[in-house]
Amino acid sequence: MIELEPTLRLLFGQQVEFVIIGGFAMNLHGSAHVTFDLDVCYERSRANLKRIAAALAPYHPRPRGFPEDLPFIWDEQTLQHGTNFTLITDFGDIDLLGEVSGLGNYEAVLAASIVMPLYGFDCRVLSLDALIIAKRAAGRVKDLMALPELEALREVTQKSED
Amino acid sequence: MSRTIEDQLLNPQPGSAAARARDFGIDLTLLIRRLELTPEQRANELQRTMRSLAQARLSLQKKGPDSRA
Repeated sequence: MIELEPTLRLLFGQQVEFVIIGGFAMNLHGSAHVTFDLDVCYERSRANLKRIAAALAPYHPRPRGFPEDLPFIWDEQTLQHGTNFTLITDFGDIDLLGEVSGLGNYEAVLAASIVMPLYGFDCRVLSLDALIIAKRAAGRVKDLMALPELEALREVTQKSED
Repeated sequence: MSRTIEDQLLNPQPGSAAARARDFGIDLTLLIRRLELTPEQRANELQRTMRSLAQARLSLQKKGPDSRA
């Protein structure tokens, strides 16, 4: 499980460039989907990697699903040597993705995001259209099962904006 | 005349995405309530649900495998 507000405050506090994607993004759009982690797509400049490393370091990030005593160094270089990280921290599970299926890298994801107010910050969240593209591209059963609800949400929210 | 979100979800038109979602098994009444909330309220509600489910899972683990039957 992830503690959403403190985790997001950490990232905002360090001015990390990121977009909320995945189940939490679905939820923010009105989906009844329940998720237990936070998925974000992050910008991969050196400065941003440094900010992410600094934001999470005090909360002991380590790879999820590996023994706790597995040697793991959390720093900017580790982030530079990988793209996608599935982590457990003192605040819970967080997935850091450098790119998203069907969309591409952070710049593409950012262009497909909208701003939502969250805990006093303007938070970037993947749009419903882009979530649908990403879920379809990911193609796993759980992704495809999310599509009918997302498409219904898109239909009713777009019609109400017309 | 445009239909309200509530009406679109309670009485989806044949062939609409809402109708497909309903036929797929999505409870569209849940979406009506969720769409009335702000994003922050949705996040807070999700957090409460996560905590409740995590608590329930912990209780089941403490009671042992027989309690799941």
